[in-house]
Order: sequence, then structure tokens, then C-alpha cells
Amino acid sequence: MVSQSTAISRAAEIAKISRTFDFILLIPILLVIIGTYHLSMILTVGDWDFWLDWKDRQWWPIVTPLMGISFPAAIQYGLWKHLRLPIGATVCTVCLLLGMAITRWFAYHLWTNYPINLVLPATLIPGALLLDFVLLTSRSFFVTAILGGMLFAAVFYPANWAIFAPFHQPVEYNGSLMTLADVSGYSYIRPGVPEYLRIIERGVLRTYDTYATPLSAFCAAVLAVPLYALWSYIGKLFSTTRFIDKF
Amino acid sequence: MSTQTSEIKAILSTSPSPYWYLRDGYKYLLALFAVCAMYVGIRLYQGAYAMDTGLDSTMPIFDVYWRRLFYIEITFEVIFVIAVASYLWLTRDKHMQALSIREEITRYFTFIMWGGVYGMAVYWAGSYFGEQDNAWHQAAVRDTPFTPNHIVVFYLGFPLYTILGMGLWLYARTRLPLYEKKISVPLTLAVVGPFMLLPSVGYNEWGHTFWFREELFASPVHYGFVISVWFALALEGTILQIIARMSVLLDKFALENQ
Amino acid sequence: MKIITKRIIKFGLLGLLLFSPELFAHGERALEPFIRMRTIQWYDIQWSKNTVDVNQEIVLSGRFHVAEDWPNAMVKPDSAFLNLAIPTPVLVRTATYINGAILNNSMALKLGGDYDFKLVLKGRVPGRYHIHPMMNLRDIGVIVGPGMWIDVQGVAADFKNPVTTLAGETVDLETYGTANGILWHLVWLGIAALWLLWWLRRPMFIPRYKQTLAGDEDALITPLDRKIGGFGIIGTLVLITASFVHADQKYPESIPLQTGRAEIEPLPMKHDVAVKIKRATYRVVQRSLQLTMEVTNKSDKPVELGELNSATLRFFNPALQRFDSNYPKELAVENGLDVQPSSAISPGATATLTVKATDVAWHNQKLASITKDTDSNFGAMLFFYDNTGERYLASISAPVIPDFGTN
Repeated sequence: MVSQSTAISRAAEIAKISRTFDFILLIPILLVIIGTYHLSMILTVGDWDFWLDWKDRQWWPIVTPLMGISFPAAIQYGLWKHLRLPIGATVCTVCLLLGMAITRWFAYHLWTNYPINLVLPATLIPGALLLDFVLLTSRSFFVTAILGGMLFAAVFYPANWAIFAPFHQPVEYNGSLMTLADVSGYSYIRPGVPEYLRIIERGVLRTYDTYATPLSAFCAAVLAVPLYALWSYIGKLFSTTRFIDKF
Repeated sequence: MSTQTSEIKAILSTSPSPYWYLRDGYKYLLALFAVCAMYVGIRLYQGAYAMDTGLDSTMPIFDVYWRRLFYIEITFEVIFVIAVASYLWLTRDKHMQALSIREEITRYFTFIMWGGVYGMAVYWAGSYFGEQDNAWHQAAVRDTPFTPNHIVVFYLGFPLYTILGMGLWLYARTRLPLYEKKISVPLTLAVVGPFMLLPSVGYNEWGHTFWFREELFASPVHYGFVISVWFALALEGTILQIIARMSVLLDKFALENQ
Repeated sequence: MKIITKRIIKFGLLGLLLFSPELFAHGERALEPFIRMRTIQWYDIQWSKNTVDVNQEIVLSGRFHVAEDWPNAMVKPDSAFLNLAIPTPVLVRTATYINGAILNNSMALKLGGDYDFKLVLKGRVPGRYHIHPMMNLRDIGVIVGPGMWIDVQGVAADFKNPVTTLAGETVDLETYGTANGILWHLVWLGIAALWLLWWLRRPMFIPRYKQTLAGDEDALITPLDRKIGGFGIIGTLVLITASFVHADQKYPESIPLQTGRAEIEPLPMKHDVAVKIKRATYRVVQRSLQLTMEVTNKSDKPVELGELNSATLRFFNPALQRFDSNYPKELAVENGLDVQPSSAISPGATATLTVKATDVAWHNQKLASITKDTDSNFGAMLFFYDNTGERYLASISAPVIPDFGTN
């Protein structure tokens, strides 16, 4: 028979094991998220994030949050559904930013001599915080898809404007009008990124004069809703705990 | 010798250390350190020699500094995969029915630590060297699938975490009762998905030589990598399996006689 | 020198045998010869000097001809960007001129056209670098010109890249906006860290899992948590709006990124010497390209063939003494061109010439494998000269038949 005092000390020990387990388990989770979310992002929308002179009004505010919502939605599903932790999106975007920042500094800056401002990453954290807050207050994936998904994408451009606005000042350079971002991209020679490779300001979003930016942001917001739902579902599929007998 | 060992074991089992379940903690720290030290060393090597010797694959000096590194990597990987697989298999637990609760808890911690080393390898390959590849393409004209950074990311980074992932799978198979007879769907997906990045290298290089010689990172020749890497999300299911089992084990532990 | 010292330290004197700086290149030789020969044909490449100080200007100038017989396997050069094969931005670019016009963007090239270019660069990172002019061609890749060694001297920290905005503010592009960007990243990271710590401070995985499994998951969220969530939404939106409005007011004249294509006409060139290739053979063992050609001189002076330039590899006719000693040695064959008959072609006359361009450089530059290409038409430029020294260009191409020397 287990005495009462033994039971108490055993309970304390279990609490300690459980807490140690928390921190030990966090390490692979965070490392795998950095490695995989970062890779997924750079291979789909990386160019817009790498270079200052790719951060345009038409493509960047659409493609980045739409690809960026992938892991946050999927991880948010698992963490909320099974653990009631409303931090999935924030964890992912913080991991992403850390992975990017390390590479920008040690690879682009220290190895290949690019100034840090040319390769400043964009942040998805403000949108991710909103996604988590909406999930927490609404306790509903449905509301989160609609309201959170829209906010996640819509705030991407305004939240990053504080970082990138200074580079959109006009310059007269060699007789033509350029932004500081364009001049930077032109000055710091990139053999692998010729000017024509930039996928910026393409397409005919011209009818509404200068309203390209809010239109892009709202377009991204609308598309982010089904994408959140899709990735949430993918998160559900991958949360399976099934065992099978053979391959 | 054997008497001493058994005595020590006996002492340990009567008064276990407060963190008995972190039995492999030091090995874990050592493994994390080893992975980081290796990659930091390689990054320093790239920094020291890539600009001088790694720009043109047709140069003899390229063979000395980079192809040689490639051969060293392949040799290391062959030895490592055989070592990991045979160690885990040959030392497998044949009497898992008799496993004590404490031992199983400890093994779960070790399992997660193995996952941590796997995660570290995934970080270096997928995040650091994966993006560094774009930086290197700004220094060299693509003239070979074996650039100084490809040699690291494709032929060391991807295989290394693949081997560690395989080890993770095998560890579960050979040491954890839950995985002994049945195959875990999420664990298998989480290991096999990222492994598929390795064959995707072929699609990538073919695409680049066949019709897309520019280094647009968002190019469709890279989507093979992307889809493969999404399977890492199956980590969610794997973690839920681990948590579920740990919670059962801790309940049993609470009732176990001391 | 640094690299040679390193090699000696590492591999002893044997290391020196493996390394010859004069053979240094930038990966261009891996591109199939028919592409290198029949797309962008570089000539007259010149650096204003070999040594440049940090912050000092250096000019790379030259010309290129866009081959008429553009390979069918390649798309047409509708988007081209004049660039440099340079080991990272050790020089920065300050201006690009094509045919005297400033060009900041990409341009379309016309087949058969000749273009004059000038790249104005500035020393940035000290060291010794091998640098080539290079043309990026959309969906094709890069065509690299001849590379030369440039020494950048001085201290990297002294480098400045000042640009003056239309508002009159002069900024240094090396560092401008970096601190502001990092600061904002830290602000958001800080908020995210607080949010994560709020949850990480409580027991996480096992107890929460059990409680959720038991159907009591709502008790895991306290009223305070929900309040924080609500304030979080408002607070985040307020901060985003405030930062946006602040930036917008601080930079009211911001404009979108600029992009466009330039149209620049090729140079007006007289092509007064017409060349028709009758037969082209590559003798593998002798490493010799042998051409039989019909040359018509439409100018009013007698002309002679002085040079054959194929994919930057130049063969000079010793009779004319026009060897360019500044050109990279591995790409210049001083006595490599044999022209028969050696007499000049009179104005208005048509002569049949037999020309042999012979050297191991065909092999070293990996151009000999033209005979193994899918499109084994070779391409080159011929330079004829009259007695006043005026030059006449002819771009040629023809199927090349290998002679393996087996019969």
C-alpha cells in the first residue's frame, strides 16, 4: 500500500517529470518548425523576402501571407484542438523570423557581402498574433478562418510598412526616377538576380490609379480565408495518431 | 569489472537520481553540440575557401577543396547509416513485455532527445544552408549540381537528417512497446516526407539545366522540396502519440509501488 | 597571394602544381559551346585600370554582337540584363551605359545588332578578384565575357555609398534604414515573446492534453486569458495602425518600386565584308578549326583577316601584328590563325580563303566539344582590317564537321 506522504512526493515527482517533458519536447518542435517552415517559405515566396527591391505593392503583399498562413494554421489546429494552446501561429512566425535573421546575417552579410538592409526580412508576427488572439477569444476555427485569416493577410503590408517605407523614397538616379530600394538592388551586384527576374508590379492592376496596395491587401485577405481552412484541415490530417499493421 | 558494474546498477536502482529519466541527457547535449560544431566548421570552411576555390567546377582546385569534401561526406554517410541502423537493430529490446514503467518513461525522453538531434539537423539543412544557397548563387555562376553550398545542403544536410530520421523511427520500433508491432502513420510520414527532399534534388537540377537556368527561388523546379517538407507537419500526430502514451505512463507511475 | 600561401600550407609544394591563377574562371565553361559561340559575342573588353581603391571608380567598357544565327534551342533575347560575374558585390555599380544611353533596367536585344557598353563601378571590399562582364538572358541563363583580375585596395570600413533623395536627404545605402528595421523586428519579437511566455509558464503538454481529452478543455482558458486575447486584438491593430501612419507621415512622398524595359537601337555598323562559309571542319587531334570561306570585299580598300574570335577565345593572324597583350592569356592565341592565301582582298573582289585556327585552348576552354553538341553549328566573329587600320566585322556560323583523325 502506498502511504500518503509517498503519494504526495510521487505526485510532486510526476509534476516535475511532466514539466521537464514540456521543455525537452519543445526543442525538436521548434527546430523542426524553423527548418521546415523556413524552407517551405523560401522556396515559394523567398525572393520577395530576400530582396528589398522585390517588396512591391502587387505581389509581395499577396504571395507572402498566403504562403505564410500554411504552417501557422496547421500547427494552430493541433495545439488548440488537443492542448488548448492559442500560440501555434505566433510560434511558427517567430521561428521563421529567427531562421531568416540568422541566415541573412551569417550568409548574405558575412559571407557574400550584402548590406543587411538589402536583405531585411519581412515580419509575419503581427498577423500571427492576431490569428492567435482571435482563436483564443472566439474559440472557433470557423471564426478564426474568416476573421483571423483575413486579418493575418490584410495587416501584412501595413505592419511591414514601418520597416520598408524609408526605402521607398524617390531618388533621381542617373537621370531616371528610382526608389532607394531600386538603387540598392542595382548597386549591389547580384549575378543570380538580373533585374528582369523581379516579379514586381506586373499585371494590369492599373485602373484604380494608386489603390494597388489596399486592393492587394484585401485580395490577400479574402484568399487567406479558404487557405486557412485548407491548412487547418491539413493540420488535422497530420494530427492523426493512427497505427497500421504494415506498409 | 562486471561485479562493479552490477553493484553500481544496484545502487542506482535503489536511490535513483532526481532526474533519472534524463539518463541520456549528456549524450544528447553532446550530439547537439556535435551537429552544430560540424556545421559551424563547414560554414567556416566555406567562408575560408569557397570564394577562392569554389567558383568554377572545371578547375582542378575545385576537386581538391569541394569534390573531396563531397566524397568525405558520402563515405561518412554510408558508415553512419550502417552504424546507426545496425546499432539500433542489434541492441533492440527483445523483451519489451517486461519493460518497467521507469524504463519506458526514460526511453520516451531519449526518443524525444533523438528527435531534438533530428530537429537540429533539419534546422541546419532546411533553414540555414537551404537559404544560404541563394546567397551563394550570387557569387558563382551555376555550372554544376555540386557547388560548394549544394555539396553541403544536398549531399550532407539532407542525408544526415534522413539518417537521423530513420534512426528515430527505428528507435521507436526497437525500444518502445507502442511502436514494436505496429507502424505509426504520423511518425512514418514525418520521417519519409522530409526524406523525399533528397530525391527532389534530381528534379531541381534537371529543371535548372533543362529549362530554367535562373535562380528564382520561387520557381516551380523547387516545389518538389516544398511538398516534401510539408509532411514534417505529421510531427503533430507523432507528438500527440507521445503525449498520450506519457500521460498513461505517468498515471501508472503514480500507482506504482516504490 | 593569399590563396597560394594557403595552398602551400595545406598541401605543400604539390599544391602549387594544382593551381594556376591565370586559368581562373567563373564557371562559364560548363555552358554548351554552341550557346557560348552563337549568342552574345563579346569584343573590345577593357578595364580602365587593374587596381582600384575603396570608394574609387573603375570603368569596364566593351562591345558585344548579338549573333544572327541565334540557336533554335534558346528563346529570343527579349529580356537581357547587362551584369557582372563577380564574386559578390566587392565592387558596386554606379551606372550602366548602352550605346551611350543610361540603362538601369533590362532591355531587349536585336539579333545581328552590335552594342557598346560601359559599366561604372566603385571599389568596395578589398581583395583580388576575377571579374567578367556577363549578360543575363531571360530563360537562357548567363553568357559570360572574358574575365580579368582586379585588385581592390584600402579598408572595407571606409566604403560609403551616398545617395541623395528628392527630398534632399543624403543617405548611405550601406546602413540606411537598418537600425529602424531591426528595431521594429525587435518590437514585434518582444510582444510575441511575452505572449509565448504567458503560456509557457504553465504546465503544457501532458496536463493540458489530459484535461482536453476529459472534455474539460474550456477550464484551461482563464477569464484573464480571454481578456488578454481581446485586448491583444485591439492592441495589435492599434500598434499596426500607429506604425503605419507614422511611417506614412514620415515618408509622404514614397513611390512604388520602379521597373520597365528599355528599347535601345543597335549601333549603326557597316558590314562591308561579307563572308560565306563553304566548309568547316574541326580536327580533333590537331585541335584545329579549319574553314573554307568565300569573302566579298564591298569596301573601297583592300582588306585582310586579322582575327577570329569564338566565344571570347581569340586567334590572331601573326601577319597583321594586332595581338592584344592585355587580353587574358588563356583566351588569346598569338600566332593561332593561319590564313591562305595571305594576300589582301581587293575592293570589290571575292576571294576564297582557307583559315586554320589552331590551339589547345579549344580544348581548355571546353569549346572542342562543339562536335558533341545537339546543335553543332559553330559561331565566331571575324575581324578584317584595311591598310588604314579600319576594322570590318563579320559574324559567321556554319555546321562544323569533326575529323577524329581515324582515317
